[in-house]
Amino acid sequence: MILPIGPIHPGLKEPVRLKLKTQGEKVINAEIDFGYVHRGIERVIEGKTWQKGIYLSERVCGICSYIHTQTFAETFEKIAGERVPLRAQYLRSLTNELDRIQSHFIANSTYFKAIEHETLFMYMLHLREPIMDAIELLTGNRVNMGWNVVGGVRMDAEEKHLNSIYQIITNLEKEYDKYVEMFEEGPLLALRSKDVGKMSKKDAIKGRAVGPIGRGSGLKHDVREEHHTYKDEFDWKVIWRKEGDNFARTMNRFDEITESIKIIKQIIENIPSGDVRKKITIPAGYADWRNEAPRGELAYMAETNGNLIQNISIRTPSIMNIDVCGKYMLQDVATVADAVATYASVDPCVACAERVIILNEKGEKTEFDGLHKVKYLQ
Amino acid sequence: MLDALKDVVRKSSIHVCLINTGGCNGCDIEVVALLSPRYDLEQYGIYVHNNPREADVLLITGAVCEQWKENLQRIYSKAPEPKVVVAIGNCPLTGDVFNQEGSSVYAPVSDFIPVDAEIPGCPPRPAEILAAILAVGPDAIAAKGREKP
Repeated sequence: MILPIGPIHPGLKEPVRLKLKTQGEKVINAEIDFGYVHRGIERVIEGKTWQKGIYLSERVCGICSYIHTQTFAETFEKIAGERVPLRAQYLRSLTNELDRIQSHFIANSTYFKAIEHETLFMYMLHLREPIMDAIELLTGNRVNMGWNVVGGVRMDAEEKHLNSIYQIITNLEKEYDKYVEMFEEGPLLALRSKDVGKMSKKDAIKGRAVGPIGRGSGLKHDVREEHHTYKDEFDWKVIWRKEGDNFARTMNRFDEITESIKIIKQIIENIPSGDVRKKITIPAGYADWRNEAPRGELAYMAETNGNLIQNISIRTPSIMNIDVCGKYMLQDVATVADAVATYASVDPCVACAERVIILNEKGEKTEFDGLHKVKYLQ
Repeated sequence: MLDALKDVVRKSSIHVCLINTGGCNGCDIEVVALLSPRYDLEQYGIYVHNNPREADVLLITGAVCEQWKENLQRIYSKAPEPKVVVAIGNCPLTGDVFNQEGSSVYAPVSDFIPVDAEIPGCPPRPAEILAAILAVGPDAIAAKGREKP
């Protein structure tokens, strides 16, 4: 029997359609259908200046909106061959880590909601709110921050605000372990999480899983290792686990929050003084840049003629992660409830994943068969 | 007498369905933030259920995308009367930054279904969303309920 779930469903936060092939209660395999939030952002950005493009790139995804602007800005800085001042690099990393913490909290809370553990769901949202305060204190907005520009950040952070953020982070650190322990040692939570939705390392490589999903399956890969600020300035390590089940993915996110707290403390303790923005002249050229978004590797490829953006291509981590979820995790899952929980554990962000729809002349969705046949809809 | 009783009951039990018609998720996570202990949506009798067949209030976020042109009307008709539609954020009102040449959005949402309340902002703060639901929800549902034969 084919069991359709979505696009609007109590278990899903975003419009996506899961088609589960079931045999009784057992899920044999699954298919995931997209196309409900395609807005055509890449097409809109083309032919605009970066000042107009950066706001659009921010609205690719509302949960990890920060990293999109940083990657966009760093792509254009790479075309110019320049790096931003050190204080701006520190402030960027600070916002990035705060954004990662809040994103991981909301991902884990969604997972706990999916396995019907209301208590931890509430605790996660409760821990998230002070982080949102910290982001608002620093940038002035809760979700779409408008914080990055090509050449640095929009405004400087005051000493008292940095101190308040340090206080918020210290408070979080104090009570954080209690909640992690609740998950790690809860017997019922383990029953719902351990050995559910397993993906081996081989499958993770084959399906190109990234971020906490790949790292939960033993793929030690974090693009922050290659980023100049993280490589040179901070002391941190990549979190990874071997199990490859729902428990490993959730635990991986918990441990990454601990690591982010460590980085934020280093940033606020060692932040240098100086400019936060410098003038950068962008020549004609092409560049690509990768950054570690909360969900994994985010890549921007952009081409400009010095003034207008000629071509831009955005690859978000959710595309690969949702794909491996359908292909490898949702095979022979014991129950439908576990299938929904597995889908939630992947931390799917559908708004991220909706880049392209391929239509034929009649306006029907078709398979992609070669770039030469593609024409833009006018 | 029975109507008056129904009004009282309905005022303090509102089921909400969140429909993302193609936004960036920003408004959706602000609705999720409303569930947190700080804002605590449920103390006002509001329950986010995400099931259109049980909903009193439909929260619409996002500019209307290709697939939603027909489906939005279908979901709206599935919600039982009386119902209220609240549009959250700039996207359902104007299409926000997406409403430009070359994009595939069909904002505003009021072209497809009647909208009772509009909350501008990108995204609006959680407290504003809560205030709008409370301002328009209970009274409108009670009033619309009375009109029915």
